Amino acid sequence: MKIVVGQGSCGIAAGAGRVYDAVCAEIKNKNSITELGITGCLGLCWLEPIVDLYDGDALVLRLVRVTENDAEAIVRAANGELSAVEDLAISPEDEQFLSKQTRIALRNCGVCDPTSIDAYIERGGYAAAKKALTEMTPDGVIGEIKISGLAGRGGAGFPTWFKWNAAKNAVGENKHLICNADEGDPGAFMDRAVIESDPHNLIEGMLIGAYAIGAEEMIVYVRAEYPLAVVRLKKAIEDARARGFLGKNILGTGFSCDMRIKMGAGAFVCGEETALIESLEGNRGMPRLKPPFPAQKGYKNEPSNINNVETFANVAWIIKNGGEKFAEMGTPDSRGTKVFALTGKIRRGGLVEIPMGKTLRDVIFDIGGGIRDGGEFKAVQMGGPSGGCIPESLLDTVIDYKKLAATGAIMGSGGMVVMDSSTCMVGMAKFFLDFTAKESCGKCVHCRLGTKRMQEILTRICEGHGKEGDVELLSELCESVKDGALCGLGQTAPNPVLSTIRYFRDEYDAHIKDKKCPAHSCTELLTYEIDPELCRGCTLCAKKCPASAISGAVKTKHVIDPEKCIKCGQCRNVCKFSAVKVN
Amino acid sequence: MVKFKINGIECTAEEGEFLLSAAKKNGIDIPNLCNHPSVGVYGSCGLCLVEASHTPKLLRACATAVTDGMEIKTETPRVKRARKIALELLMSDHSGDCIGPCSLNCPAGTDCQGYVKKIALGDMHGAVEIIKDKLPLPASIGRVCPHPCERACRRANVEAPISIATLKYFAADRDLSENTYKPTKCAPTGKRVSIIGAGPAGLTAAYFLSLSGHSVTVYDAMPKAGGMLRYGIPAYRLPKNILDAEIALIAELGVEFKLNTKIGRDISFEMVRSAADATVIAVGAWRSMSMRIPGEELDGVRGGIDFLREVSLYNSGEGEKPEIGDNVLICGGGNTAMDACRSAVRLGAENVYVAYRRTRAEMPADPEEIEQAIEEGVKFRFLQNPIEILGEDGKVTGAKLQVMELGEPDASGRRSPVAVEGKFEHLDLDTVIEAIGQTLDFSGDFGVEYNKRGYICADEASFATAAEGVFAIGDATNRGASIAIEAIGEANRAARVIDSYLAGETVPYKKPFVSEQKASDIDFSGYEKKPREQVVFRPADERKKDFCAITDGLTESQAIAEAKRCLECGCHDYSDCRLIREARKEDLDPARLAGEKNRHKKEQRLVCIERDNGKCILCSLCVRTCSENAKRGLLGLVGRGFDTVIKPEFIGTNAIADCKSCRLCVDICPTGALKFID
Repeated sequence: MKIVVGQGSCGIAAGAGRVYDAVCAEIKNKNSITELGITGCLGLCWLEPIVDLYDGDALVLRLVRVTENDAEAIVRAANGELSAVEDLAISPEDEQFLSKQTRIALRNCGVCDPTSIDAYIERGGYAAAKKALTEMTPDGVIGEIKISGLAGRGGAGFPTWFKWNAAKNAVGENKHLICNADEGDPGAFMDRAVIESDPHNLIEGMLIGAYAIGAEEMIVYVRAEYPLAVVRLKKAIEDARARGFLGKNILGTGFSCDMRIKMGAGAFVCGEETALIESLEGNRGMPRLKPPFPAQKGYKNEPSNINNVETFANVAWIIKNGGEKFAEMGTPDSRGTKVFALTGKIRRGGLVEIPMGKTLRDVIFDIGGGIRDGGEFKAVQMGGPSGGCIPESLLDTVIDYKKLAATGAIMGSGGMVVMDSSTCMVGMAKFFLDFTAKESCGKCVHCRLGTKRMQEILTRICEGHGKEGDVELLSELCESVKDGALCGLGQTAPNPVLSTIRYFRDEYDAHIKDKKCPAHSCTELLTYEIDPELCRGCTLCAKKCPASAISGAVKTKHVIDPEKCIKCGQCRNVCKFSAVKVN
Repeated sequence: MVKFKINGIECTAEEGEFLLSAAKKNGIDIPNLCNHPSVGVYGSCGLCLVEASHTPKLLRACATAVTDGMEIKTETPRVKRARKIALELLMSDHSGDCIGPCSLNCPAGTDCQGYVKKIALGDMHGAVEIIKDKLPLPASIGRVCPHPCERACRRANVEAPISIATLKYFAADRDLSENTYKPTKCAPTGKRVSIIGAGPAGLTAAYFLSLSGHSVTVYDAMPKAGGMLRYGIPAYRLPKNILDAEIALIAELGVEFKLNTKIGRDISFEMVRSAADATVIAVGAWRSMSMRIPGEELDGVRGGIDFLREVSLYNSGEGEKPEIGDNVLICGGGNTAMDACRSAVRLGAENVYVAYRRTRAEMPADPEEIEQAIEEGVKFRFLQNPIEILGEDGKVTGAKLQVMELGEPDASGRRSPVAVEGKFEHLDLDTVIEAIGQTLDFSGDFGVEYNKRGYICADEASFATAAEGVFAIGDATNRGASIAIEAIGEANRAARVIDSYLAGETVPYKKPFVSEQKASDIDFSGYEKKPREQVVFRPADERKKDFCAITDGLTESQAIAEAKRCLECGCHDYSDCRLIREARKEDLDPARLAGEKNRHKKEQRLVCIERDNGKCILCSLCVRTCSENAKRGLLGLVGRGFDTVIKPEFIGTNAIADCKSCRLCVDICPTGALKFID
């Protein structure tokens, strides 16, 4: 049997590198002939490191939360002794996480070796590119994409065919096809997984796009914080070029187009397409005014088309299977599937790809397993700093661009941060405004100063200095910033504030009027007290307290000095008698 | 050529032209700060946002090409909200003074920094021209004003404030003595204005209304014009020939004075009112307040301002020498008390006492006045409160004073005096002068409304009274007596309002919005210490014998040196600032968005150009002109978000040396952020 160790960033972070090395050493040690390989991320991130045992192409057993100490057992299992790893096998319940999904963009992720072009080709890779370049006209490709209903997966949901068509029809000798892999939303890692786990799928999708618009150059703008993605993509580009899928006269069709990588320096705003172009040109990452749109004047003032990684990841599948098949999935407004990065207080956090039209409840409860540690669902933040939160009452909202927008949230690039009752919604809005205020490029007044002032007001509310009228002031600022900011970053920055005000106004009022944080999360508003009825005088809390704020002799009641208390909550965590109360 | 509509008005533009310039050509100004025809479009300020019928989004007029049939609205509530927030955001992060604290704190808004600068350059007439834009009596006021400007002067953070008041009368004296400034009058309007009272308020109103072309008549009960400046300020502080000369200049403008004419005695108010298109009541507050203690009816008790009036009339030869005897007690701690005690000394009284119920530290009088009174032999009785005036045969013989101590601070922050039970002092006296305040002398009926305290009710912004066409200003109104410059300030603002009233539409005064900086945000450590120039006073023994001026003021070289100490706090670009111009068009409240300001640092990174980051609005006009017009490209935005600043990029290369001081960046800057240093 073949041993395959998942080597996405999530797996490596959980120790998959050590597991791989240990298994490798064990194989050598035992002089075993067992084959060892790697794959990317399956999306079962909470179960990493994951080791799969294959018999030929057939998956025999999936082992989860593996450690290097399991290497010996794994090698034994690969040699037929499956009982050696019985307790590592994935549970049927966790398996449902995958079985309930429909994978198109992620179809090869965690299944195929991302470092091997042969593995990709074996799974049918580059057939779509061959079909497009040899059997279809550019208009034919665009027509197929139009039929599929594919829309921009970066967040805006603009019809992909329309952009391609505009770039194709734009006047200009040199055209550029750019992939936006500057995935910056906190809690989003879909694009990283695609590049790390299936780089050829991205290359193939881009190649088809480049053919459709007549581009002579493809650029992948990827953030430098994704080093593994860059390494794998670089190798994939070299391999693809060596096989004639990139470069001059591709597949003998006369079409020439090459690909390069540009690493971004970590500015969130460079995910905005015009700022991305500025950055590509070597300028400070600041948005340009639109119009002119990139399709007319983009990179180097030449016609350019920019799509997100996930958008391209669907293209080869669509060309291979036909646009209609893709369009069969989803809702009339939103076709196909969408990948979500499920994080936060969720039981099973990872990557989920489902057809549009499912409900949020399907994703969070059915696939994600609901709230971790028996907590209570409060809201889900979609679209990161540009999005909004959706409360429990709207969990049956269908996943569809328009339906989600109606809630005040957005589809976004796919970040889904699940929150339970311990999350303060004002604090959540503050978190995102801290982010956008830092990431504002500083160019336009509404964004540079508007986000700063919003962040300041939210901070004072969280610290108990909120004033009557602050919510109204925030709302007014939000509306003006939406209207006045130059680019998408600023225009959408108010969304987390507006949506929390809309659904959790009572939490704002509690902070401002009663100086209370209902989620017990804003430390400035908490008071810790020891219930003398319950305290046994065990001294544990006093020993743990980093501020020496707790006094009391052995077997006498302990008392917290509120002046010294730094509200870290350690006393409450260690108390075995639940005597520490927080208000 | 394309046709489009702005606010419903048909306009035309060249194909492809941007909305902002197209609108301007059609006579419609869309606010903006970051746009300039000499550089490319940028779109950062967010002021030129407009609503268009073809899109739900607001558009930036600077970057939107006009298309045929486009319909644009520039003043919808949504547009105005976004614009107002943009300006409030900018102002909330603006660290700078539009106007220096001296001018801002002058009740008449005199451009102190402006005339001090002229004096520093040796241009005394230029200085007077600037002063007289707000204040027609600089030589007189310079001598008597308690100068709130100097209290606000930031030079105090280095060593001592500028002698602004002294400089004022230096320049004004020079101007009076030669080549006197004569302002230009507007063409006659045919409108007549009656002014009742020839004090500082009445004279100022007369000056400005006359300059506006109205025909002005001033009525006054006293034999000469000047009001309290003449009858309330002793001649040793303000020689009357100076006042005469300044009043003569007002008369020269054609202002008619009807003196010795008291309303209600010599002429009825209705007659005065009906003789004019507008009437200004500026009668002042000429009655001394009573202390309400036993013995006030005795012969030898008088009010402070009554006493000063007697002294004045005596000095001008129009009255008898006031009989005050050898032992005089003045009650009170203000400037009137100081004028009274120092006048009493000059009349020859042997023992002049001032009783004040608090301590010297709490005295409202000028510290300099107190100092000089002490030098002249006045005996201060601090923490003593007269509670009874004693007399025999109807004449004052002495006073009983209650000894006091200071208790808790009261509402005004001053520690309030509390009687020490059973502890009294006694003084043998011939005269008691009560100088504890003054109030309206309520003898004329002006057909207006009065407030509870007996003052005339006048609107704070329009100066209008309850009677149509009757305005009231100065000590007689609202809160009562204050300093002369306060009344002058009201008078010059009222003159503008009355001018508009006479033109048919009253425009009330509105305090213009300005940016102010906190002194705590400024680093004063870099300034070299230069001591304040001192005026020389005549020796106390000599000056106490007569009513001649106690000083000749500054010499010319002293004046110029003193004026050069000015820190020039007010923005050099105030008159051309595009930001303040736009900010004033809206009703701004930047305080509601107050938050961190982190860019108030001044720095000089290019050879001759100083950048004040507190005033920089990051419009990048300097960046763009340096790159596009100067072809040097030395500047760039550095940092992110709120911390973004404009600097020479990649410092360490030759950015500084590459700057050719072409000034294009300074010229294009819409605010005062950039300054060329010669």
